[in-house]
Amino acid sequence: MKKLLEFKDVSYFYQTKESEVKALDNISFFIKEKDFSSLVGPSGCGKTTILSLTAGLLVPSNGEIKLDNQPIAQNDSRIGYMFQRDHLFEWRTIWQNIILGLEVQKKHKDTQKLELAENLLKKYDLYNFKNKKPRQLSGGMRQRVALIRTLVLEPALLLLDEPFSALDFQTRLKVCDDVYEIIKSEQKTALLVTHDISEAISMSDKIVILTKRPAIVKETLELNLSGNTPLQKREDKDFGKYFEKIWRNLC
Amino acid sequence: MLKKEKTINYSKARQNYLKRLKKDKILVLFWQIAIFVIFLGIWQLFADTGVVDPFFFSSPSRIVSTILDLAHQNNLWIHIWTSLYETLIGFILATLIGFLLAIILWWSEKLRKIFEPYLIILNSLPKIALGPMIIFWVGSGTSATIVMCILICVIITTISMLNAFISCDHDKILLMKSMHANKMQIFFKLILPNAIPEFVSVLKINVGMSWVGTIMGEYLSSKAGLGYLINYGSQILKLDIVMASITLLCILAAGMYFLVSPLEKRYKK
Repeated sequence: MKKLLEFKDVSYFYQTKESEVKALDNISFFIKEKDFSSLVGPSGCGKTTILSLTAGLLVPSNGEIKLDNQPIAQNDSRIGYMFQRDHLFEWRTIWQNIILGLEVQKKHKDTQKLELAENLLKKYDLYNFKNKKPRQLSGGMRQRVALIRTLVLEPALLLLDEPFSALDFQTRLKVCDDVYEIIKSEQKTALLVTHDISEAISMSDKIVILTKRPAIVKETLELNLSGNTPLQKREDKDFGKYFEKIWRNLC
Repeated sequence: MLKKEKTINYSKARQNYLKRLKKDKILVLFWQIAIFVIFLGIWQLFADTGVVDPFFFSSPSRIVSTILDLAHQNNLWIHIWTSLYETLIGFILATLIGFLLAIILWWSEKLRKIFEPYLIILNSLPKIALGPMIIFWVGSGTSATIVMCILICVIITTISMLNAFISCDHDKILLMKSMHANKMQIFFKLILPNAIPEFVSVLKINVGMSWVGTIMGEYLSSKAGLGYLINYGSQILKLDIVMASITLLCILAAGMYFLVSPLEKRYKK
């Protein structure tokens, strides 16, 4: 599989009133097409900064970021971003939330895109809720809507910034499975940022372990666990081995 | 018919719960009316038996007869219309100007920083102090009253709406940016709809504040209006006119409040 996202010697400095803070120090890694990859590291090490740089919301101080061999641009439409919370707009219906990105990009009259949105709603059991307001949906359903809102824009790469952290443990396991299934069946490439080592192992084909700030890549793990879903992967005998390895790297 | 059927299908516990809710609602309404009637009754009784001097405290019957007298003299409608007109114009203009200023200050962070101390000073300034200046600037009468009304409401509208705009969740703005929304789209699709509940609250506050502005303006310089009537009544020692005007003011302010409150039910869910 070819490389989709590539970070080459990327550094990033934050400017504050008091000083200049080095957040990332010559980070290099790559993600293959259709892979599910995760970034793990201590709190505040710069994981979300990596996502913001990838989304073009920040510009690297040094180095280069390439998506499909092309430099990342500001407002790069090849990238979709999913946040910690679903951020559904309460005054909009589920359908209106899903086509928000299409409206912004003035594609809301494109019948192909609308068809895709409808099909995704049907496929993931949300079609009957299309005229409901977000408050009428459960936490898991809301996250699915948020993912579909990102998917209708047909991004080449999906960035997931701790999308399950606001959910309780049971819902989290279920939503992990749902999101994983959606991403795999839509054949999308995803980059997940998470604090939860088990979550990263159960969902990822590859894990990039970062050090504390200024972050450097400490180790990259290629995983090969049996099972079709994150829940099944947790049953694999090597799960514990990976957990211990990452845990030791983070300590 | 359908509603009745639904009620029949409810469980006993649900029926009891709904019955209790209805009973509580009726009880609250009963006491709201009862307190008002008891208050009027005691006031009338005290005035009739001389416990309070009706010259200073008036009485419900004297207020009603004063209102009827004023109505017969054909003066009442002029005063009511003048105050209502000034308040409505002041309310609408202040809300619009305040809202536009808030949009401008949200749009430019630099402008917001520059104007922040001015907003704080203008907000804490007692606007009545500007009264004599307003008369010099725009002349006495209706225009001075409307300006006073605007001055009282506009700063609080600007500050409240600006706070509502800038308190929007930063991650939601990032979400819009990640979809490549421009500033105009961020404002109209996120910031503005997100601030509607605050806008409704501002409207409710402005109902009260615009009446304060009108009465203050009419105290300062006017030839008609309920504020003028209150001032006139106190000068000629006819406190019944003062109390009658205050009663009318209560009714008009409550009327405006009830016109705005359905918006709250609609947007503050």
